[in-house]
Amino acid sequence: MEEKLTVYDYIKSYKDIVSESEKNDAEKEKFKIALLASSTIKALKEILYVKCYKMNLICEFYESIYNKYAEDIFNEKSELYKFTPDLIIIFIDIMSLIGEDYYLPYNITVEEREKQINSKLHELTIMIEKLKKNLSSKIIVHNFCVPTFSPLGILESKEEFGFIESIETLNFHLREKFKKDKQVFIFDFNSFCSKIGKENVLDYNLLYSVDLKVSIHHFPELCEEYLSYIKPLKSKIKKCIVLDLDNTLWGGIAGEDGLEGINLGPTSTGRVYLDFQKYLLSLNKMGIILAINSKNNPEDALNIIRNHPYMVLKEDNFSDIEINWDDKITNMVKISKKLNIGLDSMVFIDDDKLNRDMIKKALPEVTVVELPDNPALYVSTLINLKEFNSFYLTEEDVKKSKMYEEQRKREEFKKDFNDIDEYLKELNIEVTIDCVNKLNLARIVQLTQKTNQFNLTTKRYTQEAIEALIKNGNYLIFSAKVRDKFGDNGITGVVILEKNPGEWRIDTFLLSCRVIGRKIEKVMLAYIVEKAKSENIAKIIGEYIPTEKNTLVKDFYKDNGFLFIGEKEKKQIWELKINSNINVETASFIKVIDKTRELDLK
Amino acid sequence: MEEYKKIFAKVLNLDENKVNNDISMENTQTWDSFANILLIIELERALEIKFTIDEIERIKDFESLEKIIKGKIKE
Repeated sequence: MEEKLTVYDYIKSYKDIVSESEKNDAEKEKFKIALLASSTIKALKEILYVKCYKMNLICEFYESIYNKYAEDIFNEKSELYKFTPDLIIIFIDIMSLIGEDYYLPYNITVEEREKQINSKLHELTIMIEKLKKNLSSKIIVHNFCVPTFSPLGILESKEEFGFIESIETLNFHLREKFKKDKQVFIFDFNSFCSKIGKENVLDYNLLYSVDLKVSIHHFPELCEEYLSYIKPLKSKIKKCIVLDLDNTLWGGIAGEDGLEGINLGPTSTGRVYLDFQKYLLSLNKMGIILAINSKNNPEDALNIIRNHPYMVLKEDNFSDIEINWDDKITNMVKISKKLNIGLDSMVFIDDDKLNRDMIKKALPEVTVVELPDNPALYVSTLINLKEFNSFYLTEEDVKKSKMYEEQRKREEFKKDFNDIDEYLKELNIEVTIDCVNKLNLARIVQLTQKTNQFNLTTKRYTQEAIEALIKNGNYLIFSAKVRDKFGDNGITGVVILEKNPGEWRIDTFLLSCRVIGRKIEKVMLAYIVEKAKSENIAKIIGEYIPTEKNTLVKDFYKDNGFLFIGEKEKKQIWELKINSNINVETASFIKVIDKTRELDLK
Repeated sequence: MEEYKKIFAKVLNLDENKVNNDISMENTQTWDSFANILLIIELERALEIKFTIDEIERIKDFESLEKIIKGKIKE
C-alpha cells in the first residue's frame, strides 16, 4: 500500500515519468486505453498513467474530444479505430445524458420519461455494438449516478416511473443487456459515487467552471476502479493469500491463550475475526488459494484450527500450512515452491509490522497488506483489496482448493515409490484431448493468461483474440484435461498450432503447474505429431521464448528430438521433420481420450 | 515567503522569486486552463480555503489571485 498522493503529486510525477519513459521505453509494448467521456476528464489520463507505470505497465491514451465520443464511435475512419485500443472506457454522466431535464425532471410526462429512458438505452446499446463490431478490446461502460434529490421530495416514491426510478431502471436494463457479454463490462459508477458519498463526489466550482462530473480529488479512486479491469487483462493478478495466525485469524496468542483463551466467536471482539475469516472463505470459494505462514508450536495452532468451534476456515481450506519457528521469509519461499505459485502472485497478511517490513524488504514481489492496528477494520481492508479480479470464473477456479487437497494426497502416495515411473503408472492418469469449443474457451484463455512456468512462448490471449484465431480457420487449438485416481485436475494443457501448408508452427504449448511432472506434455506432443503425420505435414516448428519464469522448459524441444534452427529476436526456433517412421516418445501408461474425433467443431 | 506564492510558483513551474503581479494567464505559457484547475485545488487544499465560482472567474493574473486569497486569509 502507498501513501495518498494529491492530484498535483500525480501530475508532477506524470511529467517526470513521461519524458524518462519516452527515452527508455520506446521499444516496450504499450497498453492502449481509449477514454470516451461526455465531460471533462482532465488529469484522469495522467493519474491512470502513473498508477499503471507503478505496476510496470506503460500506457498510451486516446481521448475523444470533449463530448464528441459519439462522433468517434460512429465514424469508422476516426482516430479511435486507428488507435486499436486494448481497453475502452465509456464514461457518460447522467447530467449529459438527460441534459436539460436533469433539474427539471417533471417537465415531461411519464410517457415521455419512459420514452426518453428507452431511447437513451437504445443509443447506448447501438454505440457499444458499433465498437464491438470493429474492435476486440474490452469495453468498460459506466452506469449512471442515481440522483439523491427530487422536486417531489418524500412523494418521489409514490410517483409512477418517477425521476429516480427512471434512472435506476436505466441502470438495471444496462446491466441486463450485457450480463452475458464477455467483451462489455458495466462499471457500477453509481456504487462508486455512493462509496465516496454523492454529496462529495462533485466539486460544484469545477462542475460549473470546467464541467468536471467527478471531483478531481476523487480521480485517483476512480482510476483504482479502472485498475481492477486492467490488472486481469495484463495478468497482474494475485492467486494466493498467505496468512499469519495470532492476532490475524484470531485475537490472542495460540501458545499463551490456548484454544479457550483466544478471541474468536460471537462476541464484539471475536466477531471481528469471524467476519474476517468468512470473507477469506468467500475468496477461497472463488478460487483464491489460502496458506498459513505462522511462528507457533504447530500442535498449539493446529489444535485451534481443528477444534475451535468458531473456526470458519478449516484445515482443508489451506493449500499449504507452514507453522514452525523458521523465519517468515523462508516459509514464504517454501509456500511459493510447494504450491508452484510465483511470489508476485502472493498477498501477505500479518498484523505484525516487523514481519511485514521484513517480507517487503526481502521479497519485494510479494504484495504486503498494511493491516490496520484496529482489527475491526480487517474485513474492510480485505474487501478493498482489488487484486483478485478476473474476467471469467471457470469451473477450475471453483474447484481449485479441492484440487490442492488431492495434490497433497498424491504427494503422500508418492512416498511409497522409489521409482517415479512406477508411481505415475499407479496414478491411472487419463488425458482428454478436445478442440476449442464453447465449454473450454474461457479456460483456454485463462491458461494463456496465467501460466508462466511450463509455457514455451508465454503468449497471452484474450477471449476475442482466440475467437479471431478460430474464425481465421488456419489454427488448431486444443485443450488437455487431466484426471487420475485422486481426482480431476480439469483442463490444464493448451496447444495452439498454426497450420501453414507443409509445416505446422506451435504457437502456444503450455501446461498448468498443477500437473507438471506427470508427463502430460509427452501425450500432447505425440498427439500433434500423429496429427501432422496423418495430414502429411513435412515438419513441425517449435518456438521457445525465454522469460524469467519458464527456464523449466528451455530444453523441451531438444529433449523431444527437435533440431535447433536458429534464434530470431530472442525467439529460439526448433524443427522436427516428420516422416512415416517417426515415433515420438509418449507416455504409454497414460490413457488418452481423443474427443476431437467425436464432433467436428466449426 | 507566503505559502500561496510558493504554491503558485510550484504549480506553474516558475521561479519563486520572479513571481510578480504582471504574471497572467495571457502571458504565461504554463498557466493554461488545466494548470488553473490544479492551482485552484492545490491552493484550496494547502491553505484550507474555498473559492467561490465568481472568484474563480476573476482569476486572470497573480494580482487578482493574491487579492482574493488575502481577503480569504483575513476572514
